[in-house]
Amino acid sequence: MIKCVVWDIDNTLLDGVYLESAGQPPAPDPQLVAVARELADRGILNALASRNPPEAADYVSEATGLRFAAAECGWDSKAGSIGRIAAELGIGTDAIAFVDDDMLERAEVAATRPEVLVLTPEDAADAPGWPDFSPPVITAEARRRGELYAARQRRQAEAAAFGGSRDDFLRHAGTRVAIRLAGPDDAPRLHELSVRTHQLNSAGTPVSEAELAALIGSAANMVVTVALADVFADDGVVGGAVLERNDDGSWPVPILMMSCRALGRGVLDALLAWLCQAARDGGASQLAVPCVVSERNVPMRLALAAAGLRAAAGEVGADGRALFTRSLDGPLPGLADWVTVP
Amino acid sequence: MTGGADDITAGLRQLLVEVTGRPELATVPAQTELFGTGVGLDSLAGTLLLRRIQRQYGVDVAAEDLNLDALQTLGTLAEFVAGQLAATPLPDRPGSG
Repeated sequence: MIKCVVWDIDNTLLDGVYLESAGQPPAPDPQLVAVARELADRGILNALASRNPPEAADYVSEATGLRFAAAECGWDSKAGSIGRIAAELGIGTDAIAFVDDDMLERAEVAATRPEVLVLTPEDAADAPGWPDFSPPVITAEARRRGELYAARQRRQAEAAAFGGSRDDFLRHAGTRVAIRLAGPDDAPRLHELSVRTHQLNSAGTPVSEAELAALIGSAANMVVTVALADVFADDGVVGGAVLERNDDGSWPVPILMMSCRALGRGVLDALLAWLCQAARDGGASQLAVPCVVSERNVPMRLALAAAGLRAAAGEVGADGRALFTRSLDGPLPGLADWVTVP
Repeated sequence: MTGGADDITAGLRQLLVEVTGRPELATVPAQTELFGTGVGLDSLAGTLLLRRIQRQYGVDVAAEDLNLDALQTLGTLAEFVAGQLAATPLPDRPGSG
């Protein structure tokens, strides 16, 4: 049962970044403030963890009218802040939920404190209906989503306790990755992924359902979806890619995207390995991924580097993109035996 | 903080153990490949490692190295960090959000 929710400030409880606003700090996010108030009414504590000066916490208290049981502001990791908040409040970290819009903050807390329930702001808006938050009425749908989160948390805890490589754990967890050729029915989900993914998105721009449907129907492209499941949970379609057949031997990948839920589970690596394989099988000698280079999509660049793709030095264009390529001669990245391909 | 590359290698090895949760990496040689069959560093652990390096050493590897070639081994990563520290003796302590 959750006893305290630890909130991030920037782009979470506030509708913007505190320090980036000259003079007038951003207004609170009304939906999340309503959630925090509802939880407080149920006896659940609210607390703050932020990489901001302490004045930010004072501002949030005043602007939201919420009372925070603890506030940790500074440069330390959020995992450290959560530990101190738990100690200060005399509760276990397994009774804490943590809400942050930044995927890497969430990933870091999930990796170092797997007992903490880690939520995006969107999840947090939904969470008051879950059994862990002792709601007055629990709907069947809310129970299902709550169970999905509980399942993910069990995976985190087991991964943290598991002594072995990531691949050993993926095998242990019965991971199944399925890459499939997309059909017309997949266009809505692929569109949704193009809108919602940022950190693991090479193109960096949304693609409309109509555009995706046209790509799926065109013989010049291979469009695939990637589904992910293991013994803990079935995450459904978590990613997709477009591979363009090209006469000059260099096959581009104009779209490569993955939900952050799949991060750390070998799915992007599998997709890149398959793209190399499929392009070579089609007669290509090079794979080329145009990718936005930003602070946010470092995980995407790491996956590209791990799959052997490189950009020419200094080649970031005016559009903020670089072209990452690799030769398809010689050995290609391997595919784990839990990956099924078209 | 501005110790030699060997000190930095030891510090990076400790960070690697922490972000992967794998104590056995405390003895990984500085020449072992980080990607692939060597350490098997994936994009999540890699990103967390780069964040920890930024906090601890004030070096933003991802911003300075487009292809992330510094991540070939712990040794190359330590050299890269040492080189950046030498170029900027008093790095600003970075932070975000």
